[in-house]
Amino acid sequence: MKKFKRMLVYTFLSIATIISIYPFFWMVVSSTNASVDVTRGRQLPGTHLIENLTNLFDQVNIVTALTNSAIIAVLSTFLTLLIASLAGYGFEMYRSRGKDIAFNVLLLSMMIPFAAIMVPLYRLFGRISHTAPLIGLDTLAAAFLPTITTAFFIFFFRQNTKMFPKDLIEAGRIDGLTELGIFFRIYMPTMKTTYAAAAIIAFMNSWNNFLWPLVVLQSPDKQTIPLLISNLGSSYSPDYGMIMSAITIATLPTALVFFFMQKHFVAGMMGSVKG
Amino acid sequence: MKKVVFMMLTIIVMVALVACGDRDEESVDDQEASDETEGATNDEGEAITAWAWDPNFNIRALELADQAYDGEVDLELEIIENAQDDIVQRLNTSLSSGTTQGMPNIVLIEDYRAQSFLQAYPDAFYPLTDYIDVDAFADYKIETTSLDGEQYGLPFDTGVAGLYIRTDYLEEAGYSVDDVQDITWAEYIQIGVDIKEATGNNMLTQDPSDLGLIRMMIQSAGSWYFEEDGSTPNLANNPALEASVQAYRELMEANIVSMVSDWSQFVGAFNDGDVASVPTGNWITPSITAEETQSGNWAVVPFPKLEVDGATNVTNLGGSSWYVLNSDGKEAAATFLANTFGSNEMFYQDLINEIGAIGTYLPGMQGEAFEEGHEFFDGQSIVADFSEWTEAIPAVNYGMHTYAIDDILAVELQNYLNDKELTDVLEDAQSQAETQLR
Repeated sequence: MKKFKRMLVYTFLSIATIISIYPFFWMVVSSTNASVDVTRGRQLPGTHLIENLTNLFDQVNIVTALTNSAIIAVLSTFLTLLIASLAGYGFEMYRSRGKDIAFNVLLLSMMIPFAAIMVPLYRLFGRISHTAPLIGLDTLAAAFLPTITTAFFIFFFRQNTKMFPKDLIEAGRIDGLTELGIFFRIYMPTMKTTYAAAAIIAFMNSWNNFLWPLVVLQSPDKQTIPLLISNLGSSYSPDYGMIMSAITIATLPTALVFFFMQKHFVAGMMGSVKG
Repeated sequence: MKKVVFMMLTIIVMVALVACGDRDEESVDDQEASDETEGATNDEGEAITAWAWDPNFNIRALELADQAYDGEVDLELEIIENAQDDIVQRLNTSLSSGTTQGMPNIVLIEDYRAQSFLQAYPDAFYPLTDYIDVDAFADYKIETTSLDGEQYGLPFDTGVAGLYIRTDYLEEAGYSVDDVQDITWAEYIQIGVDIKEATGNNMLTQDPSDLGLIRMMIQSAGSWYFEEDGSTPNLANNPALEASVQAYRELMEANIVSMVSDWSQFVGAFNDGDVASVPTGNWITPSITAEETQSGNWAVVPFPKLEVDGATNVTNLGGSSWYVLNSDGKEAAATFLANTFGSNEMFYQDLINEIGAIGTYLPGMQGEAFEEGHEFFDGQSIVADFSEWTEAIPAVNYGMHTYAIDDILAVELQNYLNDKELTDVLEDAQSQAETQLR
């Protein structure tokens, strides 16, 4: 009976695994096939990988796009973590009268779809372009600045901070640390797993972000990876093999980030549920 | 240890920000430099930019135009490739926020969407009426690219449609190419049934969410989703639409349609020889000829006709035109377009020879390149045929909301296939359209 139950569980898990891995398998296999084979639904690895890659590197500037995406993703992840964790820590640790109201208003902002604020935001960046060209339209900074403070991450850090032992803060104060010192030297190292989980989510969000970069990044040398892939599909007779190899390259960095931080990620997510 | 890590992180961020800053400063310098060149024509030529999609077609056409340009003003053309949906998104965001910064001088817009841009952003585009001879272009293109008597678009490629058909399948079913010239949809269905009996293959593919076939059918009878004003929905009591929807249902009920769900399956179906015909725009030619083993087995014949008043055997699917944005550099951009797409007959020969693009500039639609037979189509001069049909395409006003109506009709069409009454189907679609587009 026990054996039977086990078998059932394993069968179920195997099916779930196949379903979730299949798209990746299909993507990798298609990147080795010619476009005609992809449209025919060929499921076996082919011999066109080199050809697809050569076409890709010949036709588009994928290195520039990868670099741009990397700069945007790394900077935005770093700034998101810093700002959101400061805010989440502050909301949880300090007492103030309007704190909860402010926090609720902040949460409400999660309900506003990005499409609704896009035009005003674009206008704003258009306005400052003349006075502050470094962060105006068509700069990498403009592509990530609106995304570095999100209610979601502040909420995420606040929830996790609930598990942080307050005694440590008292101890830090007695030992003469400043408030910022406590944050950087006690809070940050203790909350490593939370940071890792948030880093993965922030990195992925930024790496895959499409709509906002699409409208603010206009010149080809500012293109990010999702914009480049969108362009590849624009033709009346698209080369699906080449597109698939570009997509495979584009998924590698997020996959790597995830694999490196996987252990912390799981721990961090568990923390937020428990808290 | 932790101090060191923190210090290092801080340094990395500082360096990255500074690096970004440098890059931005450079681009600012570029910007200023190009600002200076704009307006003042100096020796290096005025810089204009153009956005378009499809490297093998539109982008290539721009490159050829750049080579063919021989105007008095020196111009530097920068061509930027963008997917069509991306161009639409960018234009909408930018124009609705009233900023033209970063926008190109020339932009390609699909004809179905043209009116929505022209009407929603009245001052955003620069009229080309004084730059080109409007009468020299196919009538149906002028209808969609102009507004209130002003010509805003420079008509580019035709989406003239035809019926691509497998001659070997026809023969197996006992027909010849002559039997499929200028047929009606009823005849088309009969032939489809016979081909399926003889070869086991379906006649055509359909994607239930893409109403291209219906659009082609109604335009072939000189009708559209809207009245002539381009904004009053014309769905209920529209004989052409009624006949089209009926023909669509008959196709489905004859069981000669392969269902597909996206573009790649659509292309895959005819490349694999699963279907005997492809009723669509001429821009599909490269995808058809991509399967070299089928060379000699294809022909292109006129689009089947509806049995209603005003029905013809010619129609259109897609096609796009060039527009000039009303910002710095507009005169130069308009001059460039007028000198190439707007008047250069030889350039249209190059377009045919190099990329197989058929334009809508009538004086340019003759000459050797147009008469040449196509080996893949058993020597048929398909370009000459397409050009001849282009001149006869019924002109309709595509209005502002073609794709919105598509979404409404796609749902109602499925209801019709599930035995809802035809009049109810179209009346419901009409009232939905009236509420939604008010």
